[in-house]
Amino acid sequence: MGTYAVILGMALATYATRALAVFLLSRRLTPGIERFLGHIPAAVFAALVAPPLLAPQGGFAPGLPAVAAIPAAVVAWRTRQVLPTILAGMGSYWLLRWIVG
Amino acid sequence: MRRRAILAGLASTAPIVPGAVAFGLVYGVLARQAGLSLAATVTMSLLVFAGAAQFTAVGMWGQAGGPLIVLTAFIINLRHLLMGASVAPHLRGQPGRWKALLAFGLTDESYALAISRYLAGDGSREFFLGANFGLYAGWNLSTLAGAVLGGLVVDPGRWGIELVFPLTFLGLLVPLLTWPLGTVVALASGVVAVATAAWLPGKANLVLAIVVASGIGAALEGWWARTQ
Repeated sequence: MGTYAVILGMALATYATRALAVFLLSRRLTPGIERFLGHIPAAVFAALVAPPLLAPQGGFAPGLPAVAAIPAAVVAWRTRQVLPTILAGMGSYWLLRWIVG
Repeated sequence: MRRRAILAGLASTAPIVPGAVAFGLVYGVLARQAGLSLAATVTMSLLVFAGAAQFTAVGMWGQAGGPLIVLTAFIINLRHLLMGASVAPHLRGQPGRWKALLAFGLTDESYALAISRYLAGDGSREFFLGANFGLYAGWNLSTLAGAVLGGLVVDPGRWGIELVFPLTFLGLLVPLLTWPLGTVVALASGVVAVATAAWLPGKANLVLAIVVASGIGAALEGWWARTQ
């Protein structure tokens, strides 16, 4: 396969994953499926939060990022905003790295 | 009004764009080192627009065949099928061209920002578009910069900039935990994602975690509805 054929193939494969459900689920669904869809956001967020913090190399090995996430979670709870959460997490992480050395 | 919603979506990406830019720079550098031309490096970001899949493709370049690279990109992005399903009810009745455009720009980050707005009651296709565009612009401009500057770019891992991504999702997750069922779903998803990370590569652990946790949430909610 040529370079651009591979890139086009990747583009089509990626677009398929993104567009398929958006177009197929355009009609009203059964209550069970609607409930399933309603829980996806919390499941997605947790699945994107946990591995990089608790298992950065694949195996369970929480380190400084996991510790820094604790004050970040408190700030998220109090402010319900992304930017203060990031600032609290990054600030704590840099502080911890400076302390640990 | 519509322009304001687009700008609000664009502005919502500001905290994440530095992280996306750092990774776009690294992708640009690695793609050139893997032997892709400047044009091919930039074209991949313009057409594919999927960080994890692009990094993996560049890592496989020259060592694996094209079909395997395409298949890997598909598997890595399968989680977007679930995100598309979750946002689909909010896009019901929108014209096909809006669905097609929004689906093209759907990433972990822009989905997360858009669905949070929909759940808070003030989501819109314009906000979603603005969020998609902010990340698309950041990703492509930084790809170009990385591909041109090459080895001049320093390793962003030194600063822990990759932490911006889980912290963003943490900031979006926590407001959903006021609902007990949301906490159960989040715990189940986090546990499955971490427990299977080592033996389900290519982000397949995320797909499993999302399906299992959403299934548990739907089952509990259905059981609760029947007992009332």
